Amino acid sequence: MNTDLEQRFPSARIIGRGVTVAPALKSGIGLTFVLALFGTGARLVIPVLIQQSIDHGLQPGRVDIDYIIRLCLIGSLCVVLSSVCLREATRRLGTRSESGLFALRSQLFDHIHRLSLEEHNKEKRGALVSRVTSDIETLTQFFSWGGLGLLLDGSQMIAVAAVMLAYDWRLALVAFVTSAPLVIVLRYVQSRLVRAHNLSRERNADFLGSVSELMAGAETLHAYDAEQPMIDAVLVSMHNRKKSNIRAGVIGAFLFPSGEVFAVFTVMAVVGTGLLIGPSGGLTSGALVGFVFLTYRFLEPIAEFTEIIDQVQSAVAGLRRVLGVLDTPVGPPQSQHPRPLPQGGLSVDLKDVSFAYGSRLDETDDDAPVLHDISLHIAPGQHVALVGPSGSGKTTIARLIARLTDPTIGRVLIGGVALTDVANMELRRRLIVVPQEPFLFANSIEYNLQFANPDASETDMISSFADLGLSDWLESLPLGLGTQVGQRGSSLSAGERQLVALVRASIVKPDVLVLDEATSSVDSLTEVRISRALERLAVGRTTISIAHRLSTASRADRVIMLENGRIVEDGSHLELLAAGGKYASLYETWINSTGSTTNE
Amino acid sequence: MEQSRFRLAISLLRQLLKLHPRPFLIAVAGASVYAVCTVASSFGLGYVVDEVIIPRFQSDIVNGQTFVTASFIVIGVGLLRAVGVVFRRSYAGISHWSTSESLSTQIIKHTMRQSTTWHQQHMTGDLVARVGVDSDTAASILGPLPFSTSVILLVVLTSVWLVVIDIPLGLLAVTIIPLLFALNIGYQRRIDRHFDSAQKALGDFSEAVHESFDGVMVVKAFGAEDREHLRLGGISSKLRDARINAVKARAIFEAFVDGTPSLVNVALIAYGAIRVRNGDLSIGELSSFIYLFTLLVFPLRIIGYLLSEIPHSSSGFKRVREILDEPLDAQSMIVTLPQDSNIAVEIHDATFSYAESDAPIFSQVNFSVPVGSTVAVVGETGSGKSTLLKLIAGLLRPQVGSVHVLQGGSALVFQEPFLFSGSLHFNLTLGKSIHVPDIARALWASVSEEFVSNLENGIDTIVGERGISLSGGQRQRIALARAIASGRTVLLLDDTTSALDPATESMVLERVSSLSDITTTIVVASRPTTVKIADLVLFVHQGKVHELATHETLMINNQAYANLMKSFEMDRKAS
Repeated sequence: MNTDLEQRFPSARIIGRGVTVAPALKSGIGLTFVLALFGTGARLVIPVLIQQSIDHGLQPGRVDIDYIIRLCLIGSLCVVLSSVCLREATRRLGTRSESGLFALRSQLFDHIHRLSLEEHNKEKRGALVSRVTSDIETLTQFFSWGGLGLLLDGSQMIAVAAVMLAYDWRLALVAFVTSAPLVIVLRYVQSRLVRAHNLSRERNADFLGSVSELMAGAETLHAYDAEQPMIDAVLVSMHNRKKSNIRAGVIGAFLFPSGEVFAVFTVMAVVGTGLLIGPSGGLTSGALVGFVFLTYRFLEPIAEFTEIIDQVQSAVAGLRRVLGVLDTPVGPPQSQHPRPLPQGGLSVDLKDVSFAYGSRLDETDDDAPVLHDISLHIAPGQHVALVGPSGSGKTTIARLIARLTDPTIGRVLIGGVALTDVANMELRRRLIVVPQEPFLFANSIEYNLQFANPDASETDMISSFADLGLSDWLESLPLGLGTQVGQRGSSLSAGERQLVALVRASIVKPDVLVLDEATSSVDSLTEVRISRALERLAVGRTTISIAHRLSTASRADRVIMLENGRIVEDGSHLELLAAGGKYASLYETWINSTGSTTNE
Repeated sequence: MEQSRFRLAISLLRQLLKLHPRPFLIAVAGASVYAVCTVASSFGLGYVVDEVIIPRFQSDIVNGQTFVTASFIVIGVGLLRAVGVVFRRSYAGISHWSTSESLSTQIIKHTMRQSTTWHQQHMTGDLVARVGVDSDTAASILGPLPFSTSVILLVVLTSVWLVVIDIPLGLLAVTIIPLLFALNIGYQRRIDRHFDSAQKALGDFSEAVHESFDGVMVVKAFGAEDREHLRLGGISSKLRDARINAVKARAIFEAFVDGTPSLVNVALIAYGAIRVRNGDLSIGELSSFIYLFTLLVFPLRIIGYLLSEIPHSSSGFKRVREILDEPLDAQSMIVTLPQDSNIAVEIHDATFSYAESDAPIFSQVNFSVPVGSTVAVVGETGSGKSTLLKLIAGLLRPQVGSVHVLQGGSALVFQEPFLFSGSLHFNLTLGKSIHVPDIARALWASVSEEFVSNLENGIDTIVGERGISLSGGQRQRIALARAIASGRTVLLLDDTTSALDPATESMVLERVSSLSDITTTIVVASRPTTVKIADLVLFVHQGKVHELATHETLMINNQAYANLMKSFEMDRKAS
């Protein structure tokens, strides 16, 4: 994926595209640059003053103090003015880049929220978070240090070069020619430095990966007394990280003083040339001394440039990853001309639906389902249980009905309207999914309920608990609705998280429910509460359950048995049992497995 | 406060420097060469002006000899200065990374000797941060430190040199240097406050984003994309505002730090001109004076930055020390039963709780498992079945009482098996040398030979982070094969077979019991089929472990057990 992106976007174009995405990044950059040019003026004042003093004030025998004082006052004024410009340039660059990055962040998290679930499952969660945080952070770092450095140092070189040319074009030419080979040296060493930095970044990631595996697997390693080989592997990767970082540091160390080395040669070349030209050639001693100062100033930024190279690389890499996410198409697209859903109960239809993931990389993965040509009509208010072995396509059907993904071929309709024509906001009010492992935000129960329905009042919430027969549970919580659920709901038990998720679904008062039954074992009291709440929640609503327990299936109006992405049986529980097909034999096995210990 | 800050820095440096003093000293030597050469270079400039330029232009004297001498001085000093820089930077890097490596190694070795309980109390992410980021941050002060020692030398040498050139002008400059120095530090600190609050805003933002992406399913299910966009946008704008505040403060600082030395320099030129008029100073000396002062500006700036790094570094070091200072947990104390013993596992009067303050999970537990049996551990969710297995495995240690295990030891397969990202082979052997037939036998017994041989690279297949390329059931079977291959005598299965269908489960348990070296199997059972395969049942209920008995006996004698079995069947009754 990375190489693909690199082919599509070489560095220069990456920056161009970044600017298009967040226009604030370049707004007013011209004025900022002009301000920066004036801002570096303070660094030119000294060489110019030296030249003027030597040539006009410090003549042997007749030093003109008044002239020098006047000159110094003008110089001071210039310093103050250029400081003001510098401040303004720094402020503008910082403010605008932060506004631009803010816009980029906003676009990015909005886009990520709208990516399809397949994309979310494909990417590691941490990777998406770091797109929005650490990758954008490399850009912040760049704008506040490297970018500022480039701006000021670049302005300084330009301003100094201009003054040099104004003083004496011959000397300026000598200075430029003598320092020109530096460009070749920089280019040569710079590419090695960039490679060295890339290598150390890679090694760093390897190292962190191996440490994280060591720590996560510590219990397993303890259980088998097998710590040593893993520790050794981590130490090797740590050593490699150290070596690559030191190597990058040493290359940088050679590059850093290159500007100064060239400066001393250039200064002597300038002085030599100045001596040859002499007063007869129109040169003054002040101009030559001033020129020496200017030469040092001219090559001064090189050291900082060599430091910035790495930052530029990281920033471009970060931006490239950010743009890569923005280029990923979002999940099911929004309808342009939404049609309203009918009032009341809603039917669900699947018409000739087939589904396959974009690429099935791993054929051995039995969790990557495919659906083949499924047609299905679910009447309003009907309770349907989807059963079948894992990988048979139950979850995919549920996701299609909830429009968390779109079918590859065919259509899904709700209340007779194609899902692609339903406005997302309306769909989410009428159809609710309760996942197997419901996610709760680290906040109060109240917050989690209002997340589903911002208009819900406290009374609504309490009555939702009552509707599902959960008032006793709510009352048993010391802080009631204000109870904090902890990160991902970790302060509650798995069963209690289910309860909150059911109330959260009920508070939206949907017409269609898609339930993915939980498999985790819960204590018996909570189990009773969950099944009671589920039963009440389903009353009068079209309900599609992914049944992991056949007892759920046996209570449904209708059972749909799936195998390898096809509907193999469809009918009521009793009908299917009587038919003696696959469902009947599955049920048989299950009955035996749960019943074999009873003494009948 | 100033005092404590200083002391903090000293103690931090003492502890860091004692790890790798040599590269640091070389870096300081390089920095000293740099400092001396910097002062010498200003002397060179003065020489060029007074001996080469001025004679040519004011007296029309061209002296080749002085030009050559000047070139040697300027170029020689410049090159030597560069060599100093190369040594300083290279060895500062070596010092930083070596120290960071030493700290990381210490943490890794220390944590890996800690018990399972300790690991359960520490988040993996936090430990990784301490090994990776914190040890690095702690050592990061060593990077710029040699430079700042050279700054001190530079300031001293410069002061002496300036006073040598011209006493009044030198004294003026020397009094200004500490002032500039103080200004830099003062400003740096004010800006740090802004940066700290920006950093905090970044932390809040990352946390919010993390949670929001984690719950993307809920966001989608309730159509809350727009609401989340607004909420995160609010937090993100706080970050932007904090950053903009920091940038504004910094813009003033930068301008000030850039402008002030220039103003001082202008003043020095004016005053220097008076000294030149009076014949106390040559033009070359004045030039050299100004040049040297210019050179000081950058180091003075850096030192403020360095001082702001100290608290950063020392908080990293504190987090490193926190881990290293934690005492090692007592190691497990499994008593080995002799080979000819007819008892495989015995727990004697054991009481266990996770933390001293907690109520014990078990108190005064006694039981012994005969060699050759398959035992099912039965109990409600949360009754402590996993804890019991970890006690037998020696991963947890009872506060009171003892655990005895048959010679050869036990192998525990966890409820959620952990696979390493390497090959299947590595996951089976964990880096130990195990004979090929033993591995094959373990794959056979765990009913994994078929799917493993179907993989393109067979046993050399890389399983990916946490075994991501395998399904749940496959992961569990590999973990089981790992336990069998380890050659232990007692096999402990913590609900390991739950992801398998009942037929495969019974095949696995059958094959395992046919293995000659595994004499005894203890398995946590969460469904009746498992109980059926076992010879005996260990019933865990309300902190008590009932004596081993057959299922039938327990059904008659133990009401709680009978009730639990009924709830296993509840599903069936409901139909």
